[in-house]
Amino acid sequence: MQAIWAIASSTVGEAVRRKVLLVILLIALLLLSIIPALSILSVRTETSATISTIFFVIRFTSALIAIILTIYMIPNEIERRTIYTILSKPVQRWQFLLGKYFGAVLSLAMMMAIMTVLALVMFYFNHRDAGKLADIARQPVLYLVEMSLLTAIAMFFSTFVAPLVNFFLSVGFWLVGTVLNPLYDSFAQNPQSQPAFKLMAKFILNVLPNFANYDVKNPILHPGVIIQNEASYYIKTVGYGFLYIAVLLILGIVIFDRREV
Amino acid sequence: MKELDLHVEEGEIFGFLGPNGAGKTTTIKMLLGIIYPSYGEGYVLGREIGDMDVHRVISYLPERPYYYEHMTGLELLKFYDSLFGNHDQAKCQKLLERVNLAADASKTINQYSKGMQQRVGLAQSLLNDPKLLFLDEPTGGLDPIAHREIRDLILSFRDEGRTVFISSHELSEVELICDRVAIINKGEIARQGKLTELLKGGRLEVTVSGVDEGLARKLSSGGVLHQLADGYLLDMPEEEDVNAIVDTVRSAKGTVLSMVPRRKRLEDLFVEAVRGTANSKIAEAGA
Repeated sequence: MQAIWAIASSTVGEAVRRKVLLVILLIALLLLSIIPALSILSVRTETSATISTIFFVIRFTSALIAIILTIYMIPNEIERRTIYTILSKPVQRWQFLLGKYFGAVLSLAMMMAIMTVLALVMFYFNHRDAGKLADIARQPVLYLVEMSLLTAIAMFFSTFVAPLVNFFLSVGFWLVGTVLNPLYDSFAQNPQSQPAFKLMAKFILNVLPNFANYDVKNPILHPGVIIQNEASYYIKTVGYGFLYIAVLLILGIVIFDRREV
Repeated sequence: MKELDLHVEEGEIFGFLGPNGAGKTTTIKMLLGIIYPSYGEGYVLGREIGDMDVHRVISYLPERPYYYEHMTGLELLKFYDSLFGNHDQAKCQKLLERVNLAADASKTINQYSKGMQQRVGLAQSLLNDPKLLFLDEPTGGLDPIAHREIRDLILSFRDEGRTVFISSHELSEVELICDRVAIINKGEIARQGKLTELLKGGRLEVTVSGVDEGLARKLSSGGVLHQLADGYLLDMPEEEDVNAIVDTVRSAKGTVLSMVPRRKRLEDLFVEAVRGTANSKIAEAGA
C-alpha cells in the first residue's frame, strides 16, 4: 500500500507541474470567473444559463485534463526509463499501475476542486443565491466519478496503445458515452429500428460506459424535475462507475503485467 | 538471448561486457524481472527471477537514468525509500553525503549535472543496503572527474562486501576494477572467468643487436621476428625464459637493447572474443 501511495504522490507532483494541464486549467478558471457576470446577456433564465455553462466548462475541462494527463503516463515512464528503477524495487507492476491511476485521479480531483470552488465563489458574488450553492456542488462530485472512469479507460488503453491512438479512443469512448448515449438509447428502445441496428445500439449501451448517467444538471436547473429514488440513483451510478473502473484496472493490470517495458 | 550461465562470486565486482546489441541490458532486465524470458528460468541469489524478497536485497542503476525532475535530490531518495516501506530521512541525507551531494540535496534533479545524476542514482541504489548491485553503464558519458568519483564509489561497495554486477563498454574502467568478467556476444557467453587468468598470454618484445639472423631466428622460435636497422625485434610469448635469451645473446657477443613486456589488454581479449564468436558462426554456416 505504501508503494502505491508513494507512486500516487509522485504522480500528483508531476501532474501539477505539467504546463499543458496548467494552461487548460487556467483557461477554464478564466472562463469560470467571467461566466456568472456574462449571464445577464443570456435571453434564458439568468441563473440556469449560468449554472449550465459552469457545468459544461467543468465537465469539458476535466475530461480534457483526464485524457491528456493519463495517455502519456505509462508511455513516458517507459520511454524515460523511470519505470526500471521503480520495478527493480519491491514494487509489483499492479502496484505501479494502481499508484499511477490513483495519482491521476487525485490530481484531477484537485484541479476539479479548484474549478468548483472558483465557480461557487463567483456564482455567489454575482447572484447572491446561497441556496443554490449546495446544488451546484453536487454535480462536480458526480463528474469526478465520471472522470475517474474516463481516467481508467485512458489508463487501460495506455497499457497497450500509443498516446495518440489512446487520445482518440478515449475521446471516442467519452463522446459515445455522453453525447451519443441518448441517441443509442432511443435506437435500442424504438420498436421500428432495424434489428441489426437495434442489436448494435444495445451492445454499445451495455458494453461501453454510460457517462450520461453522471449528468444530473436538469434537476438542479429545473426544480420541477426530480430524480425518482434520488439516493438509490446516486448509489447505483457511483457503484456502476466504481465497478467499471475496477474491471478496467484489472484488465489493464493483466495486459501490463505481461507487457515488455 | 540464448542459454546463459553467469557465475558471480559473492563480494566481487563482475564485469559484463559485450558489443552494442549483444544483450547486456536485456540480461540485466531479465535478472531483475523487468522483462520476461520467452522460455527457461533464471535465479538470482538462489531465488527465482522476479521474487520480491530478492528485490529487497538487490538494486539497479539503469543506463542513462532519468529521474523525476521536479524532485530534489533528497525528495528523490525519500521517494525510492518509501517504495521499500521506509521513511528514513536521516539515512537519505547520509547517502547524499556519501556521494558528495549533501550540499545539493535541496536542488531539483533538473539542476543536477550528468555526473550528479549518476551519483544520486548510486545513492538510491544503496537505500536498501543491497547485497547485489546491478549497474548498467555507470560511467557512460561522464567526464574524467565524474568517472573517477563513480569508480571510487563502486570500489567502496566491494570493500563493504557487496557484490557488484557492472555492464559496461568502458573496458579500461572494467580492467581497473573488476575481479571477473563475462563477454557476451549475440546473446551467448563468449568468455567468462577471472580477469587475471583471461588476460594471461601477453607478449614479450625483445630488441637485440650484434647477432646474426640465424641466431635471431632461433631465439624467436616461439614468436615473430622483425628486422630493424640496427638489429632485430623478437616478438614472443611472455612465458619465454628471459634469462636464457639474455645469456644466449651475450655469449654471441650481442646486446639486448630492450625488453618490453606487452601485457594482454582487456580490449584484446574483447576483440578476440567477439571476433571469435563471429568467426565460429561463419564456420558453422559454412559447414
